Amino acid sequence: MSANNEPNIVAFLCNWCSYAGADLAGTSRVHYPSNVQVIRVMCTGRVNPLYVMNALQQGADGVLVSGCHPGDCHYMEGNYYARRRLGMLKDLMEFVGVDPRRFHMSWVSASEGHKWKEVVEKTVEDAREAGSFEGFRRRQIDW
Amino acid sequence: MDLEKLRETAAEVVAREDVKYLIGWKNGSYGYRVAPAFIEDAEGAAELIFSPLCISNLSTYLTLVEKLPLPRGQEPDTRKIALMVKGCDSRAVTQLLVEKGIERDGVVVIGCPCPGMIDYDLLAEKYPETEGLSEVKWTDDGFLVIRDGEETNVTRDELLAEKCRLCRYPNPLISDIMLGEPVETWEPAEDKGVEEVDKKDVNGRWAYWEEQFSNCIRCYSCRNVCPLCYCQDCILDRLNPTWVNRAVNFSENTAFNIARAFHLAGRCIECGECERVCPANIPLGRLNRKMAREVRDKYGFEPGLDPEAEPFQASYKPDDPEDFIL
Repeated sequence: MSANNEPNIVAFLCNWCSYAGADLAGTSRVHYPSNVQVIRVMCTGRVNPLYVMNALQQGADGVLVSGCHPGDCHYMEGNYYARRRLGMLKDLMEFVGVDPRRFHMSWVSASEGHKWKEVVEKTVEDAREAGSFEGFRRRQIDW
Repeated sequence: MDLEKLRETAAEVVAREDVKYLIGWKNGSYGYRVAPAFIEDAEGAAELIFSPLCISNLSTYLTLVEKLPLPRGQEPDTRKIALMVKGCDSRAVTQLLVEKGIERDGVVVIGCPCPGMIDYDLLAEKYPETEGLSEVKWTDDGFLVIRDGEETNVTRDELLAEKCRLCRYPNPLISDIMLGEPVETWEPAEDKGVEEVDKKDVNGRWAYWEEQFSNCIRCYSCRNVCPLCYCQDCILDRLNPTWVNRAVNFSENTAFNIARAFHLAGRCIECGECERVCPANIPLGRLNRKMAREVRDKYGFEPGLDPEAEPFQASYKPDDPEDFIL
C-alpha cells in the first residue's frame, strides 16, 4: 500500500475476454481506479495459484483474476480449470487467515467495459478495507 | 492379525520370481521403535511385524526409490515391489495409480486391515521408552503395552492416533493379497483440530498460523515423507523461477506451506505422515484435512478411492461452485 493509503492491486486478465473488456473500458472513456496493475495472460487456466501468492508477497494488497465467462473460453475449458483451482486457493487462503477480500475472481467478457469498472471498484474498495498486507511481504535484503 | 500368517505369506511373496523385494515393518532397535523393512528372502520375512506401532506409511518408498542410470547393455529391473498397506496407505497407492506415478503391474499390494494405530508421542509420554524392545498389541477394546515384561492394558481412546480417530477407511481399498478379516469401521470423530482454527476470525487464524509457521525450519521433511510428493523437479526447490525463496522467515515459510497444502488439495489421503515427522510440531494435518474436507463437501470428490478416477486438479465439472466469483 502506498503512502497515501492507496492499495496496490495486481490483475491477471485473460487475453481474449477480460483484457479486451478492460481495453473497451479505456476506449469508452470509463473512469475506474488506477490502482490496478494489469498482467495479460493467455488464459485464466494459465494462472498458477502461486502467482497469486507471489503477488501478495511482493507488494500487492489485493489480487484479481478475470477471464471469459464459463463456456466462452477461447481454449474451450481453461476457465473451468481456473475456477476449480482458484476457488480452492481462496478457501485455503481463508483458512490460513488471508483476508478473503484480498483475492477476487470475475468473469468479464470483451463487451463488458462497465462490468470491468464495477469489478475494479469492488476489488480496490475491498483491498482498502482489508488494509495493508505488510505481514506477508517478502523480506528484501538491501545490500 | 496373525503374525505367523503374515510371515508365511511374505516369504511366499518374496520367493516369487517376479518380485524384487517386499516393504514391510520390523522392530526397531529400542523402545517402541518400528523400522521399515526391505525384505528379499524368507529369513527377512521372519522379522516382519504388524502392530499398533506400525503407523508409518510405506507407500512413500514406491516413489522414493532412486533410479540410477543403467550401464550400457544392462536391462532395467522390472520386477514388482511388494508393499504392506493399511487402509490409509492403500489410498495413497490408489492415488499414485490415478496420477500414473506407479503402474498397477509394478506392485503387489498386501492389505492389512487396521484397527487403529497408536500416537507415538502420547504413548512415550505416558509410558516412557525403555532401552529394551517394547511391544504393543491390540486387545478387544484397546491396547496392551508390554515393556520389560510388564503388561499394561490401555483403553483405545487414550492412545489412538488423531488420524485414526478420523479414519473412514481402515480396510485396504486395493489389494492383491488380504491378510486377515476386514475390521469393523468405526464412526469417525469430529475433527476438533480443524474446527478449532475454523471458528476463529480471519485475524485470529492468521495469528494462529503465524505462530505455527514461524517455527518452521524448512527441513522439507513433510514433503519428503509424503507419499504423494514425488515430483522429480519440485517447485519448492526450483531456483529459476524462484517460487519460494529459501530464506527461513515467516513470509517464505507461509508461502511454502500454502504451496504444499495447495498441491495436495484433492490428492491428500490423510495419512498424517507430514504432521508426524514435523520436528517443529506444526499441525500440517489441519491444513490438509481442511482442504480435503472442502474438496469433499464442495466438489464431491475424494482422492484415493477409485484408480480410474480423473485427477481432481486436472479435471473440472461445468457445475463447479462459483459463488466466490464477482
